[in-house]
Amino acid sequence: MSAVSSSGWLYGAIQRRRNRGLGGLYLVVAAFLILYAVLFPGILSVGGFSKFTQNWFPLALVTMAQALLMLNGGITLAIGPLVSLGAVIAATTMDGMFGVPGGILAVALTGLAIGTVIGAIVAHLRLPAIIVTLAGSFIITGVALILLPRPGGFIPDWLSNTLAGHTPVAFLLLVVVLLLWKAFLATPLGLGIYAAGDNPVGAFRSGVPVERAKIAAFALSGLLTALAGLFVAAQTGSGDPVIGAPFTLNSIAAAVLGGVGFLGGKGTMRGAICGSLLLSVMINVMFFLGFPPVAQYVAQGLIIVGAVAVPELLKSWRARR
Amino acid sequence: MNAVKTIFRNPPLLTFVLVALVWLVASFTLRGFGAYGHLRYLLELAAVIGIAAAGQTLVILMGGIDLSVGAVITVTAILLPLISPAWDPTGLVGIALALSIATGIGVLNGAGAAYLRVPPIIMTLAMATFLQGLLVIVAGGSAVTVSNPAVILLGQSRPLGVPSGVLLWLAVSAVVLILIHRMPIGARFLAIGANPLAARLSGVSLPRNTLILYALSGFFAGLAGILVLGMNRQGYVGIGDPYLLTSIAAVVLGGTSILGGRGTYAGTIPGAILLVTTTALITVVNASPGWRSIMFGTLILALLLVSGREARR
Repeated sequence: MSAVSSSGWLYGAIQRRRNRGLGGLYLVVAAFLILYAVLFPGILSVGGFSKFTQNWFPLALVTMAQALLMLNGGITLAIGPLVSLGAVIAATTMDGMFGVPGGILAVALTGLAIGTVIGAIVAHLRLPAIIVTLAGSFIITGVALILLPRPGGFIPDWLSNTLAGHTPVAFLLLVVVLLLWKAFLATPLGLGIYAAGDNPVGAFRSGVPVERAKIAAFALSGLLTALAGLFVAAQTGSGDPVIGAPFTLNSIAAAVLGGVGFLGGKGTMRGAICGSLLLSVMINVMFFLGFPPVAQYVAQGLIIVGAVAVPELLKSWRARR
Repeated sequence: MNAVKTIFRNPPLLTFVLVALVWLVASFTLRGFGAYGHLRYLLELAAVIGIAAAGQTLVILMGGIDLSVGAVITVTAILLPLISPAWDPTGLVGIALALSIATGIGVLNGAGAAYLRVPPIIMTLAMATFLQGLLVIVAGGSAVTVSNPAVILLGQSRPLGVPSGVLLWLAVSAVVLILIHRMPIGARFLAIGANPLAARLSGVSLPRNTLILYALSGFFAGLAGILVLGMNRQGYVGIGDPYLLTSIAAVVLGGTSILGGRGTYAGTIPGAILLVTTTALITVVNASPGWRSIMFGTLILALLLVSGREARR
């Protein structure tokens, strides 16, 4: 009896610690969404909402992929190339023998396989994740360029219309992905990913297979990233070997905006999702206000630094008082 | 047997032996590889990576990372021809201006990391994004040709048969090695990298040293940018991009821990030469850009397996 209540108390304390600072983030996101709805009331219609969530969906997926690794104490710089590869594979396999299901399966398996290989290299050969994924990004870019040297390929119209049409299918898919993530977190392996990131030695002594958890984190991250590529291909109606490039920085930025730390174990997935929503709203606003793409780079650099710096400054200001 | 063990325990030496082996094998198997002119050319290319990696080594030793190296090189290479004043026949004023801009960018990186508490990886990545946009707005995205005499002299002249870029690299190497291993400030960098809390409690000022380090990284990246500009005689958007990965890879290949606190610039030097040699070997094999990219990534991974492994935890 007492064991149960004390573990409940511990759980509550840990949850409180993890959720610290999220309240402010929710407020900022809500404020931005309200501002957005005031500026562009179109978002309140079904079509507008669908388009908005479609722009957000791939960023949300890659942010999950990045946050998953950062929570585990890793990082990946291969997000962009893997999104491109997912898009390229989708565009080159869907007119093949097995049609759309075969294409989706090929993308998913590629993502899983690449993630597993990177994870195995990082976990078993003990190379730093940042440099392995940086080298991996060159290999993945090369494969994408060989498969499809210039933009093209084929995506069936009905798939594009289903995923990126005037219905909020993308939003429903995101809800499904989040529910699956919650279910995965309830498994020992899912919890192990967090535990191994927070305290590898402690997790190992408590019976968490730390290396397997790390490989699983990389594999899942690869799967999510490749699927984001599939969605991007459906959105644009074709494959493009370099379309994913902006996603690397954006995935890290969104995760950090959402309060996920670099050293593992610090942060939550809901925070990361909120971070990606915030970033997506900012990018949309800049687009609609008619910023040229180049000015978007400038603004994005400033916003990311500001968004990370302001909470830190507030915290130290509060501590000093 | 003992000698082999010593080599494997000493990453800089291991990387150096690796370079020597690759050069020997390639000289015997590929025609023209071992020619003096070709090896000199390789060293000249390695000088750019080596100088850019000098700043990167310092930053990584302190436990940070600088992902804006490529952008700073591009900024210097494009801005230098634009800001070199016409009244200055030597071109040194332009160089000084460009270097101070590069150093200024580094200071901004350091200020963000030290005072705004932005993680260095985010700060420098955001800086790179920011500069990328700013450059296209300022320079309009077209290539600029350099007419600055000092820059051309640096990129093209060969006093006593040695390219001046290589001489510059030698000077930079000497300065950086003395800085790390013979000066108190180098000991402070290493202390911060090994254990920031212990360093702070021992009276090492974190913000001050962070600022100095990122300023140095910006300065060396700017120097590499000037050298690249002199060798190419043209600056364009994207000229510095290849040097981001190579500067980090050279550091890691040289046995410096990416987590900081352990390593030396003496390993980065052979690391840079090894990278250039690898790229040269890939160019010999006539392949499409896709295959070249795959080979480059695979070779870096393979080289890392030999010499870049983290100690077992």
